[in-house]
Amino acid sequence: MAREYDTFTDDISTIKEGVEITIAIRETDIYRTRVVKAIVSSSKKALPDWDTLWLRYNLGPLRPEPWSIKILADVPGLLIKKAIGDQ
Amino acid sequence: MAHKDLREFIEVLDKTGHLVKVKKEVDWDLEVGAIVRKACELQERATLFEKVKGTPGVRIMGGSCSTYARMALAMGMDADRPVKEIVKEFDKRIANPIKPMLVSSGACKENIIKGKDINLFKFGAPMIHGGDGGRYIGTWHAVVTRDPDSSWVNWGMYRQMIHNETMMGGLLQSHQHVGQMLQKYEKAGKPMPFATVIGTEPLCTMASTIPAGVGVSEVDLAGGLRKEPVDLVKCETVDLEVPAHAEIIIEGHVLPGVRVDEGPFGEYTGYSSAPRRPQPVYEVSCITHRNNPILTVSNMGVPVDDSDIVSTAAFRNVAVTALAGLPIVEVAMPPYASCHLIVVSVQRAYSGIAHHVANAIWGSKLGSYTPFVVVVDADVDVFNLGEVIHAIVMKCHPVRGVHIERNSPGHALIPFMDFHERLWGQASHLLLDCTWPVDWDPNIEIPAKISFGTSYPKELQDKVLSNWGKYGF
Repeated sequence: MAREYDTFTDDISTIKEGVEITIAIRETDIYRTRVVKAIVSSSKKALPDWDTLWLRYNLGPLRPEPWSIKILADVPGLLIKKAIGDQ
Repeated sequence: MAHKDLREFIEVLDKTGHLVKVKKEVDWDLEVGAIVRKACELQERATLFEKVKGTPGVRIMGGSCSTYARMALAMGMDADRPVKEIVKEFDKRIANPIKPMLVSSGACKENIIKGKDINLFKFGAPMIHGGDGGRYIGTWHAVVTRDPDSSWVNWGMYRQMIHNETMMGGLLQSHQHVGQMLQKYEKAGKPMPFATVIGTEPLCTMASTIPAGVGVSEVDLAGGLRKEPVDLVKCETVDLEVPAHAEIIIEGHVLPGVRVDEGPFGEYTGYSSAPRRPQPVYEVSCITHRNNPILTVSNMGVPVDDSDIVSTAAFRNVAVTALAGLPIVEVAMPPYASCHLIVVSVQRAYSGIAHHVANAIWGSKLGSYTPFVVVVDADVDVFNLGEVIHAIVMKCHPVRGVHIERNSPGHALIPFMDFHERLWGQASHLLLDCTWPVDWDPNIEIPAKISFGTSYPKELQDKVLSNWGKYGF
């Protein structure tokens, strides 16, 4: 059964479709963060056996149409990023 | 006598009609948050959820201090005490800090979990608001850290979000003591030990909200509030001490130089304004907890909730200290302003007194939190919002009475700041001078106030008041 995940971004062009990417997602049943190697697609309907990936803006609102995600492998740990702003 | 622990406080709330025990099973995914939020907006009773879906044996308490009545009860006062009396009692106790006592063990050690058994998800941490970045386990709590260069121990309330079973993330900012401590550890390339304390008796948690000065350990202020020392026990895996009676303790280290996306989160300002962005990571090494632990939760949002009530006293106290020596009559922070506005009444002493007041406040820790200062004359009751509004619209000249200070400290949660300003903590301040200028002639230029207390001879006032019932009122 297809699982649901979500991820946050203000700029969807930063999520490359159709190629293997490393992305941090949340399992929407428990809200655990996972880092995965995956392929994503902006079309949910074209890939019925893939999982669902919802996209949220960085302030939280949900984008209306979900994407699809095929998880290839889990990456241990968290997705470490560079500090932004006053930290 | 101080409440021994949270459970004793809960009994008091129950006996005095300030608690709803929800026996129906509730879902940690938004339902708990929705109930607590609605209860805050109705200024309803505190809530103890006795059955949380998927987490047997865990209870959640919401809104423990979201009314003045409960703040009074937390301090051992009668629930019907006026705000002015509560905040002045707060000042009196804070002025007499009491150092903690180290004890060998406590209820928080009933269960000790290390290694692969650590699971942050087992405490029913709620998804509090729709759109939050995760499940926040730290919303009404204290994060304990020690300065690496001294014996100073800081308690602060810094939100903590669950990433996975053993990792949390949280917003730690440079203007906060914890952020300044973290900078020191990171400069040395060392992880920063922390302990998260959840579910203490209410005054310990309240103390963690006080923006105390550098070198001031809030546990001493907690002792002052309680009028007796806090009993502390040593943590299991870090060199820190925590309240022995706490419901849940989470120990570990903040990883140096590591940043992972955290947030967004509906905050005390009533908005979710800080976007998801890389924040420090807490790696958990041990969790200890009482049997059938109670997770304390605050659902911060539009006023009035726990943060708004407690900051009325905690942040006001900082202002009272900063204003020492000035001819101040009274100080108030309306709960609807969520500590972002302060009203100060002054004696009509000298030109520029309003600026003197504002500079003293902004020169303190409140400089990062309280952008709006309103200064009024001595005849305004600063605890009466109606009188304050009247003073603003009648006495604050829209040109001469409005003073803006640019390039002031702020923080990422302030909604009026734009995106860049939120990232860099760049704010502005505003002073509303609602005092009559000292160079106005009191008989020729200062308007006569029209009120029962000012427009009639004293003898007539006394006569009217003594006959009030006879008139038919």
